[in-house]
Amino acid sequence: MAPDKVIDVTGKVCPLPLITLAKEVRKMQKGQLLCIIGDDPIFEQSVVDFCREGSHEVLEINREGKKVIFTFSI
Amino acid sequence: MNKKGTILLLSGEMDKALAAFIIATGFAALGVEMKMWFMIWGHNCLKKRRGLFSWRRKPDPAREGTYRDLETDNILQPMVEMINRGGANHLPLSQLNLMGLGPKLFAKMLKKKKISSLEELIKDADDLGVKFIICQICCDALGLSVDDLIVPNAEVKGVSAYMKDTMDAHVNLFI
Repeated sequence: MAPDKVIDVTGKVCPLPLITLAKEVRKMQKGQLLCIIGDDPIFEQSVVDFCREGSHEVLEINREGKKVIFTFSI
Repeated sequence: MNKKGTILLLSGEMDKALAAFIIATGFAALGVEMKMWFMIWGHNCLKKRRGLFSWRRKPDPAREGTYRDLETDNILQPMVEMINRGGANHLPLSQLNLMGLGPKLFAKMLKKKKISSLEELIKDADDLGVKFIICQICCDALGLSVDDLIVPNAEVKGVSAYMKDTMDAHVNLFI
């Protein structure tokens, strides 16, 4: 499934990926898919926690070297 | 019930304010309803950097008179304003200040590591809906005007409101 929105926070460090993620999620509607790409060492844990707190379902996690690509539904 | 948190920032140093705002923005991004309280020097990070002669400005009774007692002001309020010019990117460090060199080196380190500056974090906190509340007696004693802050919606309240907010919250930090 193609995501409705892709955001790239590569190069951003804690807490900026979370801030960007929260701002984008607020603009989207329930059921839409969001893809986020980041490479901060604690990025993966941050997004996992974000999804758990907001009850978002993680659909896919891909790793490409340092980069982690998450797809989850709002 | 929504998760709630409060942070009371008393310190006017950049490192401590940075810690407070990183926690506030991170928590707010994770859906926690955050309220930040500012006391004594804590409000310095919210102040727009004051000019050299801003202390000569007379307080407006119609606005500042609503949360301050202007009649008990004396020469000390403008003196504090003259020395304590604030500004998020002009704060000292609590350690290794090196007479003003420390904050400049610190800012360089943060920039190299792509960590947000304090001013950017304050704006992000405002965008995420973090509430800013300044202690009323601090405004009065230090002659602070809340009209000239980098966040537009700061409120002025007292300890009873702080009690209600902290008792409602799951976490309260004092920095």
